[in-house]
Amino acid sequence: MIKKQSNILNIKLSKFLVAIGLLISINGIGAAEGGPCKDYGECDEFKYSLNDMASLQRGASTFLNYCYGCHSLQYSRWGRVSSDLQIPEEIFFDNLVFDKSIKPGDLMIGSMSKEQSAQWFGVAPPDLTLVSRVRGDDWIYTYLRAYYEDSSKQYGVNNLVYPGTAMPNVLMALQGNQKLVCKDVPVIAKNGGEKRDDFGNTITKEKCGYLKVDEGSGELNQEEFDSLIYDLTNFLVYVGEPAKAQRERMGWYVIFYFLIFTALSALLYREYHKDYHK
Amino acid sequence: MSEMVGKLFGWVNSRLPISNTFERHLSKHPVPSKVNFWYLFGALASVVLIIQIVSGIWLIMPYSNTEEEAFASIEYIMRDVDYGWIIRYMHTTGASMFFAVVYLHMFRGLLYGSYQKPKELVWIFGCTIYLAMMAEGFLGYVLPYGQMSYWGAQVIISLFGAIPYIGESLELWIRGDYYISGITVSRFFALHVVALPLVLIALVFLHLVALHEVGAGNPEGVDIEEHLDDDGVPLDSVPFFPYKVLNALVGIGVFMTVFAIIMFFFPEGGGYFIEMANFEEANPLVTPEHIAPVWYYSPYYAMLRAVPDKLGGLIVMGSAVAILFVVPWLDKSKVASIRYKGIYSKVALALFGISFITLGYLGTVSVTEVRKTMSVICTIIYFAFFLLMPIYTKYEKTLEVPERL
Repeated sequence: MIKKQSNILNIKLSKFLVAIGLLISINGIGAAEGGPCKDYGECDEFKYSLNDMASLQRGASTFLNYCYGCHSLQYSRWGRVSSDLQIPEEIFFDNLVFDKSIKPGDLMIGSMSKEQSAQWFGVAPPDLTLVSRVRGDDWIYTYLRAYYEDSSKQYGVNNLVYPGTAMPNVLMALQGNQKLVCKDVPVIAKNGGEKRDDFGNTITKEKCGYLKVDEGSGELNQEEFDSLIYDLTNFLVYVGEPAKAQRERMGWYVIFYFLIFTALSALLYREYHKDYHK
Repeated sequence: MSEMVGKLFGWVNSRLPISNTFERHLSKHPVPSKVNFWYLFGALASVVLIIQIVSGIWLIMPYSNTEEEAFASIEYIMRDVDYGWIIRYMHTTGASMFFAVVYLHMFRGLLYGSYQKPKELVWIFGCTIYLAMMAEGFLGYVLPYGQMSYWGAQVIISLFGAIPYIGESLELWIRGDYYISGITVSRFFALHVVALPLVLIALVFLHLVALHEVGAGNPEGVDIEEHLDDDGVPLDSVPFFPYKVLNALVGIGVFMTVFAIIMFFFPEGGGYFIEMANFEEANPLVTPEHIAPVWYYSPYYAMLRAVPDKLGGLIVMGSAVAILFVVPWLDKSKVASIRYKGIYSKVALALFGISFITLGYLGTVSVTEVRKTMSVICTIIYFAFFLLMPIYTKYEKTLEVPERL
């Protein structure tokens, strides 16, 4: 009898303690730090699709045409990229490999010397093999779309995600001229809805820091440009971990195996268990 | 044919105690008939130990322990070695899972008094294993030579510099250089793959030998040796083999499923198992924005940061681990299991658990004023749990432990 009572007390007590723990953790200690996308706010979400070969192929093409001039992929090999992306070697080497002395087994070590580039840019352009794993794909996808005109900078551009970035906006010709603009946005009330005045009109306030491309200034429209960056980011996710797609495929089989293993051993255990719990 | 095998076995058996050992430690080794899932984590820890040893051996083959090539050789394993990525993720996931099961195993010990007389040595060997694991994990984390390897090692090794008089020379002696370099990597490699695994295996052996000598516990805290049958076998026991082995097998199945889910779908564990900054090669000129240890050290890191003085922090951190060793003598309770202990013990253990987890979280995030205060409070609770144990376990009202399981 005594035991039962104390059990109830225990349950109440432990619930109480958990509640306190939760309260403490919500209050204050979980306070947000500056997000990874800095002035941009939350990074845009990126969902990779490593089985979309067309996207990866377009991404590889964009990378090799626009990025590889400065950025190496030094842990990746040419032949591996062509075979993983299902690009026939001949087509790959004819169209995407500009140095004809390169062999499939070579590492993609870049074409610019680190010493010279450090002089030109102030800092040598980093190797990008693992950039998707260091920064995350959301970051890359947001960063490459967050350039804006800023005449105070060396290359006339700045970036919301990486303020003061040393990289010029290489894709400007495609994207067009992106600027920071201000616009009127609805004021949000405490309950989450838009604030309205007595006549039912939405109350607005001018807010700045929005990105806007001068229409028609680039070769691609915004949708096309976003999709180009999507493919490029997708390619960088692939190159960060070439086995990723295979890993995720294989995982299901391994999990399935262990589930069967568990079920069979549970059945066997039950059979033996009968020996001593009749 | 079978006659020949039998003869051969007889020949070996008369020279090597095979069937004796098998009977003594497996087929006739009595273990309590009723235990719960908390009693699985010991077996799981040995499974992970085997995973770590086997995957580790395979990783040694393509790994290069030089400053210039260490980082690149990891990428070589991830890309150019056939299924190298499986081996590596097995090892990284294994490291985190090792700590996860060992933490749960240790908590089981606190929950059911698995350190009480006569199991003090089992507990002490266990604590030593934990200590060796912490060293092993730290050394291993330096080997990929990423940014976090470098700066994590920088922080940890510089802690030794806080020791008065010998500090600086000790630091130099550990690093083998004036800063962390290839020399440090290659000596850490030797320690990680040879010295500490030997120590760990020896300790696990002692842990098990001592356990088999005194017998396994149970969640009721009942001494099963009190009621024996005519052959001297405890009535509330079953032979370890096959009953408990099969029981463990089910647990291993569930555990390996979880292991596979992490390994194949979340190998970085959201940045907690493999930190993102560690995908960048070590660069002595660039300090990462935010240096945090992997999750299994973070409670101690939070304690270190809670103390403003470096030496004081080191002492607190060291004591936090050292105090585990004396738990068998801090617990003055007449009963072993939490089920029969009084309300003070229950509250104390709950608060201890919460504060340890909170410290773990605090150790992974950057410091703010609120968080610092939280760390101080949790550190005090952590130590109070142990230091007040002789008092609250002695003066609380305990319940009657049943005779049988």
